[in-house]
Amino acid sequence: MKTNIVKKMTAIAAALTMVVSLGACGSEPASTTGGSAGTESTASSGTASREEAEQSEKTKEVLAEAPVQTEPLVVYLNDFDAVIVDLFKEATGYDVEVVAGNGAETMSRIAAEKGNPQWDVVWIDSAYDIYALSDEGELLTGWEPENAANLTDFAKHIVPDNKCMYPTGTHAAGVLVYRNDIYSEEEAPKTFAELTDKKYAGQVGMADPGVAAPAYPLAAYFMDELGMDGGKEYFNTLFEQGLKVYPKNPQVVKALAAGEITVAMLQESNAYDMVAAGEPISIVWPENGAPGSTRVAAISAGSDQQEIAKIFVNFLLDADTQQALINTGDEGYFEPSVKGVALKPERDADAKLAVADIITGSENEAEIKAWFADMSAQ
Amino acid sequence: MKSRDNVSGICILGILIVLVLLPLAAVLFQVVCPGMEPEKFDLKNLSLLLDVFVRKLWKKAFLNSLFLSLGTTAAGLVLAAFLAHIRVKYRFPGAKMLDMVSWILMIVPSFILAQGWVYFASGNGIASAWLGLKGISHFVFSYWGLVTVMVLCKFPMAYITIKTSMEWYPARLMHAARMNGASALKAWWSVQLPLCIPAYCSAAMLIFMDTVGDYGMSSTITAVYSFPTLPYTIYSAICTSPARFDMAGVLSLYLMVLIVIAMVIQYLAMGKRKYDFLDNGTEQVVPQKAAPWKCALLSGFTGVFCLIALGIPVGSNLIMSFSDSISIERFAFTLDNYKAVFGVASNLMDGVKHSLSLAGIAAAIGIVIGFGVAFVLTYSEFRLKKVIDMITLVAMAVPGVVLGIGYIFVWNQKWLMSVGLHLYGKPSILVLASVAAAIPLINRVLVGGMAKIPKTLLTAAQMQGAGYLTRMRTILLPLIHDSSVSAVLAAFGGSVFNLAITTILYPPNFSTLPVYISDAYNDLKFGYAAAATIVGGIFIITIMLVLEYLLNLKKQNRVNRIK
Repeated sequence: MKTNIVKKMTAIAAALTMVVSLGACGSEPASTTGGSAGTESTASSGTASREEAEQSEKTKEVLAEAPVQTEPLVVYLNDFDAVIVDLFKEATGYDVEVVAGNGAETMSRIAAEKGNPQWDVVWIDSAYDIYALSDEGELLTGWEPENAANLTDFAKHIVPDNKCMYPTGTHAAGVLVYRNDIYSEEEAPKTFAELTDKKYAGQVGMADPGVAAPAYPLAAYFMDELGMDGGKEYFNTLFEQGLKVYPKNPQVVKALAAGEITVAMLQESNAYDMVAAGEPISIVWPENGAPGSTRVAAISAGSDQQEIAKIFVNFLLDADTQQALINTGDEGYFEPSVKGVALKPERDADAKLAVADIITGSENEAEIKAWFADMSAQ
Repeated sequence: MKSRDNVSGICILGILIVLVLLPLAAVLFQVVCPGMEPEKFDLKNLSLLLDVFVRKLWKKAFLNSLFLSLGTTAAGLVLAAFLAHIRVKYRFPGAKMLDMVSWILMIVPSFILAQGWVYFASGNGIASAWLGLKGISHFVFSYWGLVTVMVLCKFPMAYITIKTSMEWYPARLMHAARMNGASALKAWWSVQLPLCIPAYCSAAMLIFMDTVGDYGMSSTITAVYSFPTLPYTIYSAICTSPARFDMAGVLSLYLMVLIVIAMVIQYLAMGKRKYDFLDNGTEQVVPQKAAPWKCALLSGFTGVFCLIALGIPVGSNLIMSFSDSISIERFAFTLDNYKAVFGVASNLMDGVKHSLSLAGIAAAIGIVIGFGVAFVLTYSEFRLKKVIDMITLVAMAVPGVVLGIGYIFVWNQKWLMSVGLHLYGKPSILVLASVAAAIPLINRVLVGGMAKIPKTLLTAAQMQGAGYLTRMRTILLPLIHDSSVSAVLAAFGGSVFNLAITTILYPPNFSTLPVYISDAYNDLKFGYAAAATIVGGIFIITIMLVLEYLLNLKKQNRVNRIK
């Protein structure tokens, strides 16, 4: 009993800390926080005491409303598992347990758990799959986090009308990558359309959209941009010219490093890792934009911890949180979804991303993947 | 007697149904009832069964799996028989190395071996960049190259099965044959070889099952080189979105059809003859010292063979573990990967701890159930024992990811919460799944040991008043001691590295060693993944050696007392 009271008090204190910290850094861009603090320091003492009284009232409200955690929040994710637990705990005091896996395995788990979901939040770079879950009534819809007000214009377009998920960042599912010991800058492809040039026959590789989570947004982008028929024709040409499809991006990396292929459509974090490892690789960001894969967070409709889940999703949309994720290292190559976050310095400042329409990508997913699988089997 | 057989048979069948058949049936049921939602039940979905002949990927995967498994079985059986023959017949330096290499290959998961082969044979891998062997890549990634790699990875179980069967010599029968005028060759051909048919059939089945259901090799080598197989296609049906459990069910069904066909061929080959020959006319075969030239030849061959079979994949991983580069061509020596593995911030040791505890419990439970299965299959008159045999083989061939998904369907039902059996999301589900995965191997090894021990030995003891436990303790267990030790070790080693099941089923904050290795690989930390593999492997092999020593201690004491 005593332990429960202690736990409850800790949770309330933690919730208070979290709300105060989110209030301080979440609703305003990081760059404007300092200005706001400066204004406060010049305020009159009368104003200060009034503010203190208001703050005290707010604190009482928060204490009354702060959700009490009875068990850890279960988050299914495919990246950032090493840091997010501590970041969230530090900011809010709430416990999180993660199940980390690749995107496809995580979605498979979610599908198998359908009758009795064991997750509270899913946070992976499979926006189309997550959106499809809302069609089946598996997601909390119609809720808008406070920090959604700070979303970039690009990110706002990704939020569906039913507000079932929120983007926390987008990375390139496929930048153009070529071996610079084989091609000069002039000889290298600069657009995706150039990959159909016969001089690259048998030299191009990519990950399997059916297996690698980031590869589907890549295929979906072409099907959306060129239309289904146009997209199929584009890939048909590539297949006819010996496009090599590898299960996942690490295998594309190995094939590139081994010289089995010399050009690839590769996930950006892998591309930058190759450059960092000293491989003779150059990265091209096409002017029209590289197909992006969006990491989204969504809450299970069946979660019995929806209030804490909301705090978690709101936390992911905080500029400081996204900055911390970008600073983590290998997984930090992405374009943040909120304003006021600095990109990784080595990432191309002019990098432009483009994503397929969420509904189109979601509705055609099964067809595109089946078509791709059969084509690559030929 | 028969009613007792029936009781034990039903118990074993019940356990196997819960552990293997139920989860598998849950996946197969998806074909007619997607998502297990009654309103979606539709028998018309059975038309999906014919899609294997329509969908290009499925057709290719089915044929690839069939031909790869047939080629591997044929070549692997010949190799295993030859190695077992020289190991049992001759004493030469390095002979024990064959056993050691076989055991290591048996417990190291195929995805690690496959990775080693890729490091060695890829375009600018070790063979090409360091040894100047440019043609290796072309060969390894062809059909015959894949068969060769598969044979080198899959021969150990067949080797151990055949070797165990050859360790006993039907001396009285052979003498009788020779006294009746048969030449040595004729006696071997007509007496000894036929008695080994069960072992050869069992060995062939083991290779076939292990190859046809192997996911590690499929995902690492064959799928990468445009040679999709059934396990990889099943995996991609499950681990895609929207998940196609119905497709996985259909493909698993075809995998089971292949197994049933293989079993029918095995039963036809064995017929209704009896093969138990262990009696007082049987002698234990003692390896003879060969002539010096033969000794040198055998030692040389064994050394080269072990170097290729184990040295290449493990050595390649070892080299990569000291590299900070993605490719061998840019190798730069570093100890950072090992520092990271042993670092304070490393979670790897947690993974090792979880995997070891899981494997320990799975091996302990697995050996009890596996013993029961083998006993029923060998000595019982239970009518459905062929069904039991088939279930164990199915469990071996069906990819772990299918079993894992089936476990979610079975053990994640809401009503189980009220009876305290909601196991999904808890480590206990990993134990159950690991036991299910370990039973086929334990069973095969124990059946091989029991097949030589006639039932009459047990019947005679029973007639003298020995109870069931006494018969087990004084007759059966001492005679199958070596097989039991082998079975425990194989189950333990296999469970530690079981990637497929732990990936799909691991509970929150309960990551395991293979999951860490796989994650590191996916994060392009090839050197770290290799270092973790080497450290984890050494850890586990050391534990296995200690375990083997302890398990054999009692036997050794008994032998010493007799001496």
